Amino acid sequence: MIEKELIEQCINGDLHNFRKVVEKTSPMIFSVAFRMLGDEDSARDIVQETMITIWQKLAKIKSADTYKTWVYRIAVNKCYDQMRKQKRQKENRFDDQTWALISNHMSEEGITELENKENAQIINFLTNKLSHTQKAVFILSELEEMPAGEIAEITGMNRSAVKSNLYYARKNIESLLRKYL
Amino acid sequence: MKMTKENDRYKKIIEILRNSRPDLIQPEGIENEVIRKIQNEDQKTGTVSDFIESLFSWVYIGWVRRSLVGAAVVLVAVFIYQQGFILKQVRNISERVVNIGNEQVSVPSSDFARRLTLYKMSTRLAPAGGKRVSEKQLEDILNSYDELLVKYKDLIRIIEEDPALKQYIENKLNEEGNKKSDI
Repeated sequence: MIEKELIEQCINGDLHNFRKVVEKTSPMIFSVAFRMLGDEDSARDIVQETMITIWQKLAKIKSADTYKTWVYRIAVNKCYDQMRKQKRQKENRFDDQTWALISNHMSEEGITELENKENAQIINFLTNKLSHTQKAVFILSELEEMPAGEIAEITGMNRSAVKSNLYYARKNIESLLRKYL
Repeated sequence: MKMTKENDRYKKIIEILRNSRPDLIQPEGIENEVIRKIQNEDQKTGTVSDFIESLFSWVYIGWVRRSLVGAAVVLVAVFIYQQGFILKQVRNISERVVNIGNEQVSVPSSDFARRLTLYKMSTRLAPAGGKRVSEKQLEDILNSYDELLVKYKDLIRIIEEDPALKQYIENKLNEEGNKKSDI
């Protein structure tokens, strides 16, 4: 977690301390961006763009307490922009190989840890049919384990819209699992 | 039973994904790049587009912000064009000064505008219910006037070039003047 003092010093233009903020903030932005975009290079770009935006607009932050939500909001919106571009650029195709990968991990005892590439492949497979908002809510709620109130603040939706998006995302993924297993 | 099985599968796969947090490889590369870009940005001088973009910095969605910037630029351009057009019209009107009886009216410098003004004057000078001058007639009058003006200038030039003729005309004019004063 980032200390309030550190953020307040950065608000006053302390670039040296901002490096520490980048160090602490980058992993959480990368996690969300990578899960949403399924591509390491794009996620790294989002981290960079988000950190630069944070530096430019840090003075506008109401209080250091809202920093985390604010950062996620910027990152998620940048991911939305990128997803719109990606949709135009490529249509992802999934094959039995992806499903075999999932089945292998499902059949293993205990919880295995996936590599970045496998992780992206599985998330893309499960969320391929979801809308951008459903995907964002699913990732923030189920994978990043955020409460509905915080997701509402990040995405700009109300709580019931968050719950509704999560319900449909979950239903969609469950029907996919039913189809393949 | 079936629902429970699907639910279990869902939970299991979510658990796997939660447990596999994406690894940010070489984070220091991102840190250096971010700091470098910030330092470069600070050195740049602010352009007009940066200024306008900063006005819409409260919009986080990129394409909405860009659209707002575009709309703002178009509105400013239209405003400047309108102001320029209005100023030109005002200048044109203020140039017209001509005497009609006791009334003072403007006269523009260009030939076309002069003709236009005279045409408008002719409609104003026409007596109420009287016959108006047609556009062709007016054109003929203006052409005759122009020809007369050229001949008058030639005559003045000839008189100026010939001192004897100039002296003769001055004497004649003086004689005419004396005759009028006697009367």
